[in-house]
Amino acid sequence: MPVPAHHRVAMPPPFAQPPYPDDIFAGQTVLVTGGGSGMGLAMAMAFAQGGAQVAVVGRNIDRAQQGAAQIAELGVATHPIACDVRHPAQVAAAFDEAERVLGPVSLLANNAGANFPVLAEDISNNAWNAVTRIAIDGTFLCSTEFARRRIARGEGGAIVINSAQYIWTGFPGDAHSAAAKTAQATMVHKLARDWAGHGIRVNAVAAGFFPHETSNAGRREAGIEALQAMIPAGRTGSIHEFGWLSAMTATPLFAGMTGQVIVQDGGESLRRSLMMPDFIPPRERAEGPWGWR
Amino acid sequence: MGWLENRTVRLVGTSPAIATALEAQGARLVDAGDCDILVHVIAPPVDRAAHEMRYEEWRATLDAGLDRRFALARDFAIERRTAGMGGAVIFIGAPEQALGSDHAAAAGALGNLTKTLGVEWARDGIRVNAVLTFAQTPTLGNVVAYLASDYAAYVTGAVIGIGLDD
Repeated sequence: MPVPAHHRVAMPPPFAQPPYPDDIFAGQTVLVTGGGSGMGLAMAMAFAQGGAQVAVVGRNIDRAQQGAAQIAELGVATHPIACDVRHPAQVAAAFDEAERVLGPVSLLANNAGANFPVLAEDISNNAWNAVTRIAIDGTFLCSTEFARRRIARGEGGAIVINSAQYIWTGFPGDAHSAAAKTAQATMVHKLARDWAGHGIRVNAVAAGFFPHETSNAGRREAGIEALQAMIPAGRTGSIHEFGWLSAMTATPLFAGMTGQVIVQDGGESLRRSLMMPDFIPPRERAEGPWGWR
Repeated sequence: MGWLENRTVRLVGTSPAIATALEAQGARLVDAGDCDILVHVIAPPVDRAAHEMRYEEWRATLDAGLDRRFALARDFAIERRTAGMGGAVIFIGAPEQALGSDHAAAAGALGNLTKTLGVEWARDGIRVNAVLTFAQTPTLGNVVAYLASDYAAYVTGAVIGIGLDD
């Protein structure tokens, strides 16, 4: 069902009009995990629009290279790095390489993640470990590596984490990601407290549906049209507005903000009625665990 | 180019940080009447133990922190819908557990009201958000200006803080 024509849908400014000047991150380097595609690439592009140099970290170096090339078109220096954020030595090496090529990393975007619809009983130990540890351990390892380096230099910095809109509700049909994304959100406040005295800020954006080429929703056969009407805002998110909010938390404009989780989901995670559709357990959904296939 | 060029904002309550940021982003502040954006700030009530609080004090906190906010937001939304325009409402106050039980009740109610109105008015293009914070800083002003602007077009029903103690 399309969004009725008489409904009003709030739209963001176009990509060419970022909410901050093009030198707000001048002289700074951001390291973006999973920055080669999707939401990580959107974060990286937003930092680049503010003049940051970008280290694009990914497990897949080809994808990181493609992303880095795309970001470089905005006129900033970029560098792709292969790294699995679950391994402390690889994380340290990635920071070493980023700092050797681009200079000290003063901004960090934790985006690396994996996600797919699956019934809880069908999640193998490997799958559980992969999804939870990329997000939870990866965010811990990258953030602590970043913080130790900033503290050693006696300089502050800013960290932003890509969380998700389902962190306060559970996500039946996606148990591994439900656990992983909430862990990221709940660690925000403690990391912020641990590092407040060092001038390092930590915030998260709990993002709703931002379909893109590499997202599950983006690959949906029927396209994303049918997703628009299910969201109170009347549309899915534009990926650049997610990138902007993520980068915005790291700007001096939000210098006093830390320990916060900002939900950006067009109201998608909120209850929309007292009466709900008939409950169907995920395993009995003909259209799969997420219920939209 | 500011985030709020050609926008009018009715700022109810006192917050120099918010007024400064809104105007810096190009908004025009108006006292009453038609406006594109409603920003509502309350002064924090005195922190008093519940058993030492007179009912009148309790009622005054709920009046200021909840009832009048709802009435203003409702009237704003009706005006905007009648005019065929979207809009934004931003409520600002102290964190839920920062003060007495009166404020805890009002701020908690306001938070869930924010989520509810955000959904009820979503298809009117009217966004509703709340900032519960101790901060009276430029960051608070910038966050409110952001929430008022089209840059926050996909943010509605959100309740956020600013600093560590929020």
